[in-house]
Amino acid sequence: MGENTPFDEMYNADGSVREPYRALSEWLAEQPEKGLALMQADAEAIFRKLGITFAVYGSEEGTEKVIPFDVIPRIIAANEWRKLSRGIEQRVKALNAFLYDVYHRQEILKAGRIPEKLILNNAAFCPQMMGLEPARGVYAHIIGVDIVRVGPDEFYVLEDNLRTPSGVSYMLEDREAMMMLAPDLFQRSKVAPVETYPENLRRTLESVAPAGAGRNPVIAVLTPGIYNSAYFEHSFLADQMGAQLCEGQDLFVDGGKVYMRTTTGPERVDVIYRRIDDDYLDPLTFKPDSMLGVPGIFDAYRAGNVTLVNAPGTGIADDKAVYTYVPEIIEFYLGEKALLNNVPTYNCTDVEQRAWVLENIAELVVKEVHGSGGYGMMVGPTSTKAQHEEFKKKIIARPDNYIVQPTLALSTCPTHINNDVAPRHVDLRPYVLVGDEVRITPGGLTRVALEKGSLVVNSSQGGGTKDTWVLED
Amino acid sequence: MRMLGRTAQNLFWLSRYVERAENMARLLEVGYRMSLTSRREGGASEHLISMLRAAEMDEAFAERHEVADVDTVAYFMMFDPTNPSSVYSCLQAARTNARSVRTAITTDMWESMNGAWLEFSQIKPRDVRGAKLLGLLQWVRQRSHEFRGALLGTILRDDGFAFLQAGNFVERADNTARILDMKYYVLLPRSSLVGGEIDIQQWTLILRAASAHRSYGHVYHDRYKAYNIADFLILRTEMPRSLIYCAHFVRDNLNLLAKLYGRREACNDAMDDLLKLVEGTNMDQIFAHGLHEFLNDFIDGNNRVTDTLSASYNFY
Amino acid sequence: MRIAIDHKLSVSVPQGTAQAVFHLLLTPPSGPTQTVESWSVEGPGIGNAGRFTDGFGNAAHLVNQMRPEGEITIHVRGEVTTRDSHGVLGRPAGEPVPALYRRRTELTKVPAEFYAPFRDSKESRLSICHALMERVGETLGMPPEEPEAQQMQADGGQEQAQDVTEEPRPAAADYAHLFIGAARALDIPARYVVGYRLVDGEDGLHAWAEAFDEGLGWIGFDPFMQICPTDRYVRLAIALDAETAPTLRTVPIAEVVQVVKASAASTN
Repeated sequence: MGENTPFDEMYNADGSVREPYRALSEWLAEQPEKGLALMQADAEAIFRKLGITFAVYGSEEGTEKVIPFDVIPRIIAANEWRKLSRGIEQRVKALNAFLYDVYHRQEILKAGRIPEKLILNNAAFCPQMMGLEPARGVYAHIIGVDIVRVGPDEFYVLEDNLRTPSGVSYMLEDREAMMMLAPDLFQRSKVAPVETYPENLRRTLESVAPAGAGRNPVIAVLTPGIYNSAYFEHSFLADQMGAQLCEGQDLFVDGGKVYMRTTTGPERVDVIYRRIDDDYLDPLTFKPDSMLGVPGIFDAYRAGNVTLVNAPGTGIADDKAVYTYVPEIIEFYLGEKALLNNVPTYNCTDVEQRAWVLENIAELVVKEVHGSGGYGMMVGPTSTKAQHEEFKKKIIARPDNYIVQPTLALSTCPTHINNDVAPRHVDLRPYVLVGDEVRITPGGLTRVALEKGSLVVNSSQGGGTKDTWVLED
Repeated sequence: MRMLGRTAQNLFWLSRYVERAENMARLLEVGYRMSLTSRREGGASEHLISMLRAAEMDEAFAERHEVADVDTVAYFMMFDPTNPSSVYSCLQAARTNARSVRTAITTDMWESMNGAWLEFSQIKPRDVRGAKLLGLLQWVRQRSHEFRGALLGTILRDDGFAFLQAGNFVERADNTARILDMKYYVLLPRSSLVGGEIDIQQWTLILRAASAHRSYGHVYHDRYKAYNIADFLILRTEMPRSLIYCAHFVRDNLNLLAKLYGRREACNDAMDDLLKLVEGTNMDQIFAHGLHEFLNDFIDGNNRVTDTLSASYNFY
Repeated sequence: MRIAIDHKLSVSVPQGTAQAVFHLLLTPPSGPTQTVESWSVEGPGIGNAGRFTDGFGNAAHLVNQMRPEGEITIHVRGEVTTRDSHGVLGRPAGEPVPALYRRRTELTKVPAEFYAPFRDSKESRLSICHALMERVGETLGMPPEEPEAQQMQADGGQEQAQDVTEEPRPAAADYAHLFIGAARALDIPARYVVGYRLVDGEDGLHAWAEAFDEGLGWIGFDPFMQICPTDRYVRLAIALDAETAPTLRTVPIAEVVQVVKASAASTN
C-alpha cells in the first residue's frame, strides 16, 4: 500500500531526477525569476476569456469559477503508460460484459460471484434496461477511470466513472494552454497527442448508431442547460465534434423516433451523447417531474430508433459497493487476473470490519456510497477529532451507506505554488472510449490538491488541474 | 448542420438585448440631459417620466418609486434586476443567450459579451452618481459597439448572421420609433410651444439620443427643424438608425434567410407590409396622418415581424 | 372460454399542451393460458406509434400527439380465448430472468412480521404461496362469500358492462403488492400482473400476482379473490409493481378515466 512518505514522481529518494522528468527539470532550471508566475497569470487570463468555468454548487447563484491550472505538466513514461492502458482496457471490457450480463441472463449472479441483492436492489440498477440489445453490446461508451499512484510501479483504481464522467474538456484545454505557454518545452520532449479525442469521440458515437441510421449519423449532445456545472464542457465537445448541442426542449419524439427542432423543421437524431442523469432523462419512464429530459426518449431507445450514450443503468457497474467486486468481474468474464489493483475496501455492514473501522477511523478514508465530487467524504488523517466522531456516528446509523478505505499516500508532482515549486498530491483520470474499438487517450486529466498535504483533488474542494504528458518512445 | 430553432431564437435575442442595453443608455442620457436643462419647477421629473413612458416603463417605475428623480430613474433603468429592460437585465439576458449558443458565435463575440457582463455586474450602483453616470452610459454604448464589431468582423455570413442582424435592427427600429414618440409625449401638454425654443431644445436631445445631432448638419445644412428631424429619423436611408434604414436592413436579412433555406416565409410578407409604411410616403403625409399614429402603426408592424419570424423558424 | 374486451381510456390533457406523449401497455400476449384472437388499439397517433418490447417483455406503444385539444380517447378492443390452467403459466419465452422479480420496490415494502411465519417453512414454494395468499386475505379482508361460478352463465351470452370506479382496483393492487412483497422477502420471485377479469358486478380491469416456482414456472395468485386465475382472467401486462405496469402513462401527467366492458363472446 505504498510507504508513509508519498512517492515523488519527479525526484528519487536520493534527490536525483527520475528519467521522464529530465527535460522538465532542465527547463524549470532555465526559467527566469517570476517566469512561472507570469506564465500562471497568462494561463488564468486564457481560461477566463474562453469562459472555461464551472459552477460551484451551494455558492451564490450564478457564481462561476475558473478551475485553477498549474503550469508544470505531469509526466508519465511510455512504459508506465503501456501498463496502465492495458489495465484500463481490461477493466472497461469486463465492466461492459458485466453490464450486458446483469441486463440479460445474470450469469454472474446465478454463479454467486456477486450477491444478487447487491445488484437487484441497487438504486443504480435499471430494470427497464432488461433484455435491451445495445449497438455492439456496449453500455458504457465514455468512461473516466480514477487512478492514483503510490509507488514507482504501483497504481490503484479509486473508482470507475461509467455514468457521465466529466473533465475531458479540461484535459484538452490544459494541453492547448500548455502549448501556448511553453512551446519550447514541447520541442524537447515527444509528447503523445490528446487532441484526437473529439475525433475519436465522434467515431465512437458513429460506430454505435442504430441500424437504421445512414452513413453519416446525426449526433446530438444533450445538456441540462447553461446552469449545469459542466455546461462549458458540453458546448465545447459539441463544437469540437461538429455535433448539435441540444437541451431537452430541442428534442422530441414522433412516431417512436427522436427529432430535433431546427429552423427548417424536424431533423432525425441517431445518437445522443447525453449529459443528463438517468433519473432526469425521460419523464415518461423515470422521474415524472423532470423538466430537463425528453418525454419518450427511452421508449425510442428501446424501439431501437436511437442510441443513448452512455446507456441508462450503467451506474450499476460503478456503484461504490460493486467496486469491490471488479477484480471478480474481470476474472469471471475475461478469465484473467486484474492488471490494475483495487483499493482494499472495508464493508461496514460486517460487524467485525465495522468495529475495526470505528477504532481506526483517524487513519481511514470514509466515502458515501452514492456521493461524488468529494462531497460526503472524510479523510481521516487530515480531519479533526470532531469530524471523526461525526462520521463514526454516521457509519453506525447507516453502515450500508459508507465504504471505508485506507488512506493512500497519493504520489506528488512538482507544482507551482506562490512563485516556488513544491510537491503536491495528484491523481489521474484517463478517458476511455468504447465503440467499434477501445480508444484510450494517452494521459488524461491530472487533478492536483493545491493545499499542502491535502489529498482531496476535487475542483469543488480547491483542487486544480495539470496538463498530463505521456512520453512516446 | 441545420440550426436549432432555439439557437436561432437565442441569436436573435442576443443582439436584440445588446442593442436594447445600448438604447436604454441613450434614452437615459437624453432624460438626464433634459432634466438638467429644465427651467421649470418639477420639469425635471416630468421629462424623466415622459421618457419612461416612451419606453413603456412608466407603470413599472411607479410601482417601485414614488419620486422620479435622476437617482431613482437611473437606478431603475441601469441596475434594477427586477426591471426586465434595465441595462443590467439586458446585459444579463444577452449573456445568457450567448452562453446558450456558445458554439454558434465566435470566440471574439463571446469574449466581448462575457467581458461586458462581468465588468458591468461588478459595478455598485451607489458608486455611479452625477458625472460618473454619463461616463458609464458611454461605456455601455461602447461595449455594444465592440460586440457589433466583433460580430461583423468574425462571424460567417450564414443563417446565424441573418438572425443576429435581424434582431439587432428590429430592436433598433423599435427604439427609434419610441424615441420619436417620446417627443410626442413631451409636447402633448404644451402644443402651443411647437416651434418654440424649448421645442427645439427637445428635438435636439432626441437627435442626440440617436447619435444624430452632428450628422443632421451634414445632411440638412440647416438649423434644427422638427420637420427635418422627423424626416431624418424616419425616412432618410443614409441615417443608420432611421426607421426606413432599419426596415431595409431587416428585410435584407430575412431575404438572406429565404434564400439560404430556399423558401419564403410569413415573416417575409410581414416585412413587406412594414416597408409599405415607410416607402412611398413623405413627412407631409405622416404629419397629416398624425405622427403618433404613424409610429404606433410602425411599432405594431415591427412586432408582427418578430412574431412571424419566431413562428417561421421554430423559435419556442 | 372466449372473452371480448372493450376498453376505453379517456385522457384530459391540460390546455395549451404543446405535445402529449403516451406510453401504452395495452396489448395482451398470447401464451399458455390465453390466445389473442383479435386485438386493436385505436386512437390519435396510433398509426404512427413506436412499437417495442419493454424491459419486462410487454408489448408497448409510444404514441405522441402535437398540440392536442381537449380529451383524447384510446379505444382498445379484441377477443381472447382463455384456458384454465389452475393458474400455471410456465415459462413464456422472451421474458427477463425470474430473479429480476426479487427486486424490492417502494410499493412492495412489507413489514417483517407479515412474512415471518414463513421464513423457516419447510413447505414447498407452491404451498407457501397459497398460504401467503390466504394471509393477505386475512390481513386486508376476504372477498364476499359469493361463489364466483354463479355469476357466469354457461351460455356466456349476457354482457357485463361496468364502469371502473376508483375503489376496487387500488384494493386489488394493494392485495397484489402485499403478496409480492412478502414473496420477495422470502426469496421467491413475484411480479405484478395487470389484466381483465370477467366477473359480474365489478370492474373488468384487475390486478393480481404471479410467483415463480422452479418446477412449474410462473403461477398466478389473485389474493383479492383468493384464487388462482382461471379462464376468466386475461393477462395484459407484467412488471415489478403497479407503478411500473400502468396501462397508460402520460406526459404531461393527466387524468385518465378507464371504462372496461368484459363479456363472454360466442365462439364461432
